[in-house]
Amino acid sequence: MTEPLLVVEKLAMAYRQSRRRLPVLAEVAFQAAEGEFLCLVGPSGCGKTTLLRLIAGLERPEAGGVYLAGVPMDRPRRRVGFLFQEPRLMAWRTVAANVALPLEISGTPRVEVARRVQSLLDWVGLAGFAAAYPAQLSGGMAQRVALARALVYDPQLLLLDEPFGALDALTRERMAQELLRIWQARRKTVVMVTHSVPEAVLLADRVLVLGPRPASVVAEVNVGLPRPRGEAVLETPAFAALARRVRQALDDAV
Amino acid sequence: MNGSKSEYEQERARRGAMHWGWILFSFVASLIAWQGVVWLGGYPPFILPGPLLVLERLAELVADGSLWFHTWVTLREVLAGLGLGTLVATILGYGLAHSSVAERLLSPYIVASQSVPIVAIAPLLVIWFGAGMLSKVLVCALIVFFPILVNTVVGVRSVGRELRDLMQVLEANRWQMLWLLEVPAALPVLLGGLKVGATLAVIGAVVGEFVASDRGLGYLLKQGQQLYDTSLVFVGIAVLVVLAQTIYGTVVLLERLFLRWREA
Repeated sequence: MTEPLLVVEKLAMAYRQSRRRLPVLAEVAFQAAEGEFLCLVGPSGCGKTTLLRLIAGLERPEAGGVYLAGVPMDRPRRRVGFLFQEPRLMAWRTVAANVALPLEISGTPRVEVARRVQSLLDWVGLAGFAAAYPAQLSGGMAQRVALARALVYDPQLLLLDEPFGALDALTRERMAQELLRIWQARRKTVVMVTHSVPEAVLLADRVLVLGPRPASVVAEVNVGLPRPRGEAVLETPAFAALARRVRQALDDAV
Repeated sequence: MNGSKSEYEQERARRGAMHWGWILFSFVASLIAWQGVVWLGGYPPFILPGPLLVLERLAELVADGSLWFHTWVTLREVLAGLGLGTLVATILGYGLAHSSVAERLLSPYIVASQSVPIVAIAPLLVIWFGAGMLSKVLVCALIVFFPILVNTVVGVRSVGRELRDLMQVLEANRWQMLWLLEVPAALPVLLGGLKVGATLAVIGAVVGEFVASDRGLGYLLKQGQQLYDTSLVFVGIAVLVVLAQTIYGTVVLLERLFLRWREA
């Protein structure tokens, strides 16, 4: 097997609250191969968001480290795309300008920016909204703009922190399908945190189950379902069995 | 679709015209009422001149060019003071917003400086910097300083951790953090402060001119008072109102220009 793209090595992390030490992560370790789709599930408040922030280099661990293609993520690096729970769009920028933001920061030539923004907006189905402002968008549309922004600079790794958590059930299912479609075409390495077991099984190559705080990886479920996975896969017995296994692991962990 | 839009715009234009019509009507009505009070009360012109007398005085001042001269003097003081005060207040406010040590160290003095009335400081500034333009500019700058400082601090602090995180993930440097995030995010609150500052700056210039001056609209007012030329005082007040309105209106225009996204 080739060298994994992402190596998370025995990460430990604690928050300090006025002299009290609150351990969040205890020895979290896993790897992700290039092009792999990984889902993290775990009881709420177990430190999943903290884990993603550590991988992105937004926080420093107490022990252990994160390596992306051999480079330590000891500070934020543009090689990572981060899709947060909320869209986090800039209200004063149009949809196109929001998607262009990462390229503006990296100093990409204007013509190239326009071309890439256009193609990404086409991808997420928002070409007609380039000149709209975030306040005019629905929740699902705003999150699609955020996804386009995270993909526009072609990062090596995509981190998704419950990206559909704030959306209604119907939009959520549609967004999951859309994410699958985009991932299939672009084959990004993805680490996604989710609360939804079916969503994890539908999307992931592997599901990692985290235990309660301080968290560590307590179980791993390989999802061998064939791709592309349409909505029909949700009805198959194989899908149900995998979902049951993940849920069982979650129950055991608590 | 197109037809309904132009209909909507026609409706808007009609309402706009009505709006201005009402303003004009109330203005004319109050002038008539003013003249009526003068006639009915039989006041001498040095107590209450009628609008016609004031208009006559205005025409005189326009004709001999002195009105432009004094207005220009005051306008220059106001603009220079507003610019200087805004510059210092935004730079210092940005520093205070980012450093709690600086805030704890400086804010007692800043608040204390606000409890001293500007009329008490103005004579000191005249002693130090002379009776020329500089002392008036400094009075203006001092008076606009505080509201703009406070609004800068509030504006910069209102930039959420969420967008800061995003900018960090994208490896934005300090300048990009400032220009692409902090300035546009703080701009609505900052322009709010500038609106308050714009009207205060006119007060500052007049206060400065009251203390010591040989030109400017404040000087005209003082002259009018000393000579019982009450029409002159009225002309001065009217011009000051127009001046303040114009500067305020300019800031409102800036707001419309920069904050178009809020109307979306």
